[in-house]
Amino acid sequence: MPEPGETQKNMKEDIRLMKGNEAIAHAAIRYGCDGYFGYPITPQSEVLETLEELMPWETTGMTVLQAESELAAINMVYGGAATGKAVMTSSSSPGISLKQEGISYIAAASLPALILNVMRGGPGLGTIQPSQADYFQATKGGGHGDYHLIVLAPSTVQEMVDFVGLGFELAFKYTNPVMILADGIVGQMMEKVVLPEQRPRRTDEEIRQQCPWAATGRLNGRKRNVITSLELESARMEVINHQLQARYREIEKTEPRWEEIDVEDADYLIVAFGSIARIADTARELAAEKGIKVGIVRPITLWPFPTEAVNKAAQGKKGVLVVELNAGQMIEDVRLAVHDALPVEHFGRLGGIIPSPEEVVDALCDKLINK
Amino acid sequence: MEIEEIIREENKVYCKPELLEQVHMHYCPGCSHGVIHKLVAEVIAEMELADKTVGVSPVGCAVFAYNYIDVDWIEAAHGRAPAVATAVSRLWPDNVVFTYQGDGDMSAIGTAESIHAANRGENIVMIFVNNAIYGMTGGQMAPTTLIGQKTATTPYGRRVDLNGHPLEITNLMAILDGTCYVTRQSVHTPGNVRKCKAAIKKAFENAIAKKGTSVVEVVATCNSGWKLSPEKANQWMAEHMFEKYPLGDLKNV
Repeated sequence: MPEPGETQKNMKEDIRLMKGNEAIAHAAIRYGCDGYFGYPITPQSEVLETLEELMPWETTGMTVLQAESELAAINMVYGGAATGKAVMTSSSSPGISLKQEGISYIAAASLPALILNVMRGGPGLGTIQPSQADYFQATKGGGHGDYHLIVLAPSTVQEMVDFVGLGFELAFKYTNPVMILADGIVGQMMEKVVLPEQRPRRTDEEIRQQCPWAATGRLNGRKRNVITSLELESARMEVINHQLQARYREIEKTEPRWEEIDVEDADYLIVAFGSIARIADTARELAAEKGIKVGIVRPITLWPFPTEAVNKAAQGKKGVLVVELNAGQMIEDVRLAVHDALPVEHFGRLGGIIPSPEEVVDALCDKLINK
Repeated sequence: MEIEEIIREENKVYCKPELLEQVHMHYCPGCSHGVIHKLVAEVIAEMELADKTVGVSPVGCAVFAYNYIDVDWIEAAHGRAPAVATAVSRLWPDNVVFTYQGDGDMSAIGTAESIHAANRGENIVMIFVNNAIYGMTGGQMAPTTLIGQKTATTPYGRRVDLNGHPLEITNLMAILDGTCYVTRQSVHTPGNVRKCKAAIKKAFENAIAKKGTSVVEVVATCNSGWKLSPEKANQWMAEHMFEKYPLGDLKNV
């Protein structure tokens, strides 16, 4: 339950120990989110639960609603986004599958929204243990049509907080949906986190100014705003698609984010995202003890993928090991980035099993060094 | 005389509603949508709600409703309008939000969203145009299609053993405590047009008073889908549909 003073209107910066899922809830409130619409599913139900406990509707006026399904929740997000509000939802893999229709609509209508996926093992009902097997779904589509989500992959509880703020910022900058692609590890683990000072929610007037396209009610006789993604006239539809594509080219140029560790002197690269990158980092240290020089590239934006950065980092290296909790998804983007100029191998555990740093070092040796 | 001298306010007996756009509608001649759109436009104008109304349009023939009634609109995915309306209503409590949906939208793919929005008692208006068929996609069976009725997917007539019974979605909505006003209307006679307009007005008043969800079902015709002339379609509706979907208030608290 909330601590005293926790639900005040103007919360100061605060340092706390909490789960990733809980941090998302706190961050949403502090970054001025207008509405959260969600549905319980393991391993992310704490997002909705924490929001309900914190009762932000009594302090910041934020709306929190448990919808009847993930499908209803994403359509509520679509509705809120259509009116220029800062809205978000969260779910886990099977629930994210349900949301794909709504996500396509949000992207097609050029609306800002934030979607959190705390990945669990699949496919199907799968397992509640962590996985990274929704990379394709997040970065290559998931929903129908030519669109892209901006995808942020947090590896710490702090990044879970920071990416809520960054996510909303990017969503409104480009009027495009943004996904935080987390895994069950970072959702469930507890870490120290700095919660930012409360940012006030925008007033209705500020929203109308910032989002003149929004369906907020036709005040003062202005021309009506229609939020739609339907265009039956092919020539016009092609133009709309080109506009979306132009936006994606702009995002690809400006927004790739990544982290590098010890890349310059390395002989081998490990590319990993999310919490798995931390295991890879420990593997780097273990490898160094064995005299193997390993560098880490951690993509932070999975879309736009830091293609140039990976290409540059791979120059002069002997091989790349892509470590991800799936059967080989991000590895395709890595191979594209390096033009197959050097060996690129995959290592991953499936079914929710988390590899140890020792396993990663063994894989590096088996698949690249001793080959 | 100039036209402005002839058409003076005090001489005006009837005119095109100010909120109905001066455009050619895509609806078939004889379609009930034309009249229902007119009534919605008149009610919003008379209640002076044009600047705070947000409409949520369906997938179906009325997908282009946003081209005809001059308020802000959000095009929803098929069946999801009540969920979309829920968010708009909660986030903009001073606005008036209504959905305009067909029978596929509300009672097939959108059943869960319809029932749960009403169950939560969202302060919205749901206008449900029930013509017992899927018009836009070429006349296929709807949940509200009558037993024996021929459609593109029931070419020999709907059968209970294959397709189940016509779904009385409005009756289901009336059971929920979240609904304050559930009514069935039609627009096939002048008297019914007047009653339907009054029902729509009452629904909007309820939304403003935050009494919960109002559902106005308009039993309607689809002369194209039914393969009848507009006049025969009205007759067929009166003879067959009112038996299953009787007009009147199911709930009015």
